[in-house]
Amino acid sequence: MTRKIRKAAVIGSGIMGGGIAALLASAGIDTLLLDIVPFDLNEDQKNDRAAKNKIVQAGFDQLKTGKPAAFMSSQDMQRISLGNLEDNFEELALCDWIVEAVVENLEVKQSLFKRIEKIRKADAIVTSNTSGIPLRSMTHGLNLKFCQNFMGTHFFNPVRYMHLLELIPGQETLKDVVDFMADFGNRILGKGIVWAKDTPNFVGNRIGVFNSGNTINTMVEESMSIPEVDALIGPAIGRAKSGVFRTLDMVGIDTMIHITKNIYELVPDDPEKNRFLLPGFFDTMMEKKMLGNKTRGGFYKREKNKAGKPEFKVLNTQTFEYESFENPAFPCLEEAKKVKTVPEKLNCVIYGKDRGARFVWKTMARTLIYAANCIPEISDTILEIDNAMRWGYNASFGPFQTWDAIGLEISVARMEKEGFKVPGKIKNMLSKGYSSFYKTENNKNYYYCFEKETYLEKPVSPNELSLSKLKIEDKTIFECESASLIDLGDNVFCCEFHTKMNALNAEIVDFIDKSLDYVDTNGAGLVFGNQDQGMPGAFSAGANLKLLLERATTGDFDSIASGLKKMQTAMQKVRYSAFPVVAAPYGMTLGGGCEICLGSDRIVAHSELYMGLVEIGVGLLPGGAGCLNLWKKIFNNLPGPLARDADLIKIFIPVFSNIAMAKVSTSAAHARSNGYIGVNDRIVFNRDALVAEAKKEVLRMNEDGYTPPIKTKIFVMGDQAQGMISAQFGNMLHGKFLSEHDAFLAKRIAYVISGGDVRPGTLVDEDVILTLEGEAFIDFLKKEKTIARMTHLLKTGKPLRN
Amino acid sequence: MRDAYIVTSVRTPGCRRARGAFKDTRPEDLLSFILKTSVEKSINLPISDINDVMVGCSFPEAEQGVNIGRIASQMAGLPDEVSGATVNRFCSSGLEAIAISALKIKAGWEDITIGCGVESMTFVPMGGNIRKPHPEAAENNTSLYLSMGNTAEVVAQRYGISREEQDEFAYQSQMKAASAMKEDRFTELIPTPAVKYVQKENGTYVKETFIQDFDDGIRPTTTVEGLSRLRAVFSMGGSVTAGNSSQTTDGAAAVVMASKEKVNELGLKPVGIVKGYATIGCRPDEMGVGPRWAIPKLLDKTGLKLKDIGLFEINEAFASQAIYCINELGINMDKVNINGGAIALGHPLGCTGAKLCGTLLANMKKKGVKYGIESMCIGGGMGAAALFELCDQ
Repeated sequence: MTRKIRKAAVIGSGIMGGGIAALLASAGIDTLLLDIVPFDLNEDQKNDRAAKNKIVQAGFDQLKTGKPAAFMSSQDMQRISLGNLEDNFEELALCDWIVEAVVENLEVKQSLFKRIEKIRKADAIVTSNTSGIPLRSMTHGLNLKFCQNFMGTHFFNPVRYMHLLELIPGQETLKDVVDFMADFGNRILGKGIVWAKDTPNFVGNRIGVFNSGNTINTMVEESMSIPEVDALIGPAIGRAKSGVFRTLDMVGIDTMIHITKNIYELVPDDPEKNRFLLPGFFDTMMEKKMLGNKTRGGFYKREKNKAGKPEFKVLNTQTFEYESFENPAFPCLEEAKKVKTVPEKLNCVIYGKDRGARFVWKTMARTLIYAANCIPEISDTILEIDNAMRWGYNASFGPFQTWDAIGLEISVARMEKEGFKVPGKIKNMLSKGYSSFYKTENNKNYYYCFEKETYLEKPVSPNELSLSKLKIEDKTIFECESASLIDLGDNVFCCEFHTKMNALNAEIVDFIDKSLDYVDTNGAGLVFGNQDQGMPGAFSAGANLKLLLERATTGDFDSIASGLKKMQTAMQKVRYSAFPVVAAPYGMTLGGGCEICLGSDRIVAHSELYMGLVEIGVGLLPGGAGCLNLWKKIFNNLPGPLARDADLIKIFIPVFSNIAMAKVSTSAAHARSNGYIGVNDRIVFNRDALVAEAKKEVLRMNEDGYTPPIKTKIFVMGDQAQGMISAQFGNMLHGKFLSEHDAFLAKRIAYVISGGDVRPGTLVDEDVILTLEGEAFIDFLKKEKTIARMTHLLKTGKPLRN
Repeated sequence: MRDAYIVTSVRTPGCRRARGAFKDTRPEDLLSFILKTSVEKSINLPISDINDVMVGCSFPEAEQGVNIGRIASQMAGLPDEVSGATVNRFCSSGLEAIAISALKIKAGWEDITIGCGVESMTFVPMGGNIRKPHPEAAENNTSLYLSMGNTAEVVAQRYGISREEQDEFAYQSQMKAASAMKEDRFTELIPTPAVKYVQKENGTYVKETFIQDFDDGIRPTTTVEGLSRLRAVFSMGGSVTAGNSSQTTDGAAAVVMASKEKVNELGLKPVGIVKGYATIGCRPDEMGVGPRWAIPKLLDKTGLKLKDIGLFEINEAFASQAIYCINELGINMDKVNINGGAIALGHPLGCTGAKLCGTLLANMKKKGVKYGIESMCIGGGMGAAALFELCDQ
């Protein structure tokens, strides 16, 4: 038998169940979403299907409109069918995977599984998304066949965006089921798999909830304030922007109380269990219904001040009034600001001398020790814990990576001096002379294994290629400060950018040219790929605006023009080279980053793709062949006979509006409907497999007998398009919907895309568009308002409308 | 010159664009039906005596193209000898068709003519299917292609017509139309066959016909408060909304005219006489002020005074321009659009001029009013006005 998920079911349409259903639908799986019939129906309503579906319908409506968007494209919504647990229960018999995400109540779950046991398909997999109820108690009394096909699949909220999926095999779960779910979760749903055991709150929430409880208790002990804690425990040390208390407001105070109580009762033997007990002000907040964002007030509240302007205020946990606050300042944070990398920042804060630094150290030390003590109880390796915290809590570094960053030996010495109880396994490790959890040696990555008391090689999935690993293995062909060319094997090479946000600069353009020459002689194909660690990360945020602005303000337009020409030439070389070039974008793929993808022969994109030609936001237009290649991309989507007498206006409008309105896709599926992603391009859900998939695409294209496209002339709309745009933008300008500069830019962009002053429907050389692109770019740069836009964006990070 | 007598003036209902009852009925069907009906309603008129059909249409392309004036008269079963033409003066196209048809009779060139108007804004949207403005002209003279909504904003701002006045005017238009419909005062309205596509049990579709007998854009339940909550659509912070603008609508109308000699010879029963027609241009960016100049010109040419006019149909393209023209000319509001106007009943562009003739004559007859004026503003910056006289019954 070959397992496949023909149809899935999610039971429970709350935030988790709904999120799972939306992810499945986005991944192309028909999904049945069920929920209970409301308890309070009258006799008439009991025969009314709509009344009986009221709960699931409300859940689905929330899902459709909630933010951030749960669906990758609105079309995916059609893959979900709704029902209730009375009328539609039998339909579960058709499902290959049934996910339970109902209320966290053991009896409810048990009785649900008893019903499912009777009707499920013989080999249907049943999983629970519980975060706090032991699996073994849920399956108590169910038959062996059921238990063999049952396991835990624990997603994190918001399901589409959080990378973590904890898999928890039960005692009886078949290996085939476990393997299948791991592959499905990773490859089809794109999640990072963490193996957990059937222990309270599994991995992520065990460490995460301890960390919150511990931080809150330490705060009380050290007499820190709420804003102080949030200033310290945040991006300054590589943690999520929302800090501790703004995260709690999002989670909900009631939920936090429920989670901590639940875990406290489940870990009677945990010596640190008291850290799960929350201070009394939590109960008071519960009584006063200050539950966080859902009651529009928790630890923080947005209130109007006397001037009528909204002000962010913080709760006083003595008086339970909201008070104004200033952003707290600490010398350690000032120091951290001066350095760039997370490890450097961590060291500034951990080893600072002020009370803020002391607070972070005390909190951190206790959490690190707790994490070490949790092995092997909750997981076998440090990898699971680090991955869970990175993927489920948006931390840049997991506990063991953090520990390495602050120096294992020096921090342990300080812990012992200050009376922390350092775990024996850590002392043992140090006594053997091992002073870090991770290391790279002899071209290999290793992690320390407590059980084996030695280093083991870090496993890499056969589906994935790790560029950092390849670099360690000496697979770099050549490199410069901004980019590297890496051998991916099978004569396929990867051009990797590694600037900040992978921004493009002149060095990268030269590097691309050099890489193309190298591959032409030595290779079968090229991949544009990189593996930024952040979420959603940036394939490339576009050209380096700062450098461009510097040159523009010094009037160095000649060098800008020649730089542009080089970029255009490189992009044309990419397209017309004798080998396939595949771009592997993910996350932010803006401006020049987008142009690289449009210039490539094919795109293999991650499903979370925020792609767009956003140049107009800074008063510019795509000048690296982006105007040409978007026109060609959308035009070439048409089958030959259609293209020959296509109504060019239907091509012109999407190309023009993408550029003139700086449209950025909200997913790869959306980029497909915008035309950035074409009919031959592919979408991959597992970001870690993106470079590997792009490489496979190169090989496949070669197997199919790749030859470069013919360089033909292209159809353009000519001045007909310009008349249309002038009239339309004239109206919008008249209605004050845009500024004079917006209208000026838009009209010139229309001029470029339509091929300039030519007869409608003329065939022109590609170079015509490239020349017009380049001229317009320089003309725009000479405008004061464009310079003002660029300056403003660099200064504030926000676009200027002028 | 001799007089042109109106024998029959009828219209289809006006139905909302894309969502109304005529969304699946082609303009040729609406027009040929009302054309045929206008002939049938003309007692004692032999079909063979008709000379020419002239059809006003604002966007004579696609379904409305290929000279719909000829296509529709053939579809209506008129003899091959009856000629047909399409006339375009945007929003006064229908009135222009009546005027030219009347003029041919007055000149003695023809004896019996039919002036019509048609527009299915569902099938051919405002501006046509594809707009192709002249590149240099669009760049250099922005008011040339200014949208009608923007010109309405210009009128509101230039002449100080407040949002409140516009919403109140819109509300009154709706209320007048609602009571006219309730009291069956639209005697010029002919129940009209409409098409719908119906899914059969096996999943395939069939085309079916039903009869539509009312204007489906009227909103009897609207309120001033409701109107005041709508957002300005044409200008940031402006005052022209979907609620105080005319509705986009599908419809057709026809007016049968004959010479005095033919009236007597055949024993026709005329209701009115076309006394005069005037058009005049104004600044394109305030096209809505057209009637303010067209009506005085008409009165001047026909030698009448404003006080001689008992009823007006002034097209409500936008409340802002209608209010301006009425106030500026000092017209008594009680004489204007007594059955409501385009804000409630819709403005099917090319049809409107012919449609309002029917409404005006029906009201003149009911009230025994001797002189009535129909007037409208016109895209591009123009006004048109026509004078009708009631025949002695």
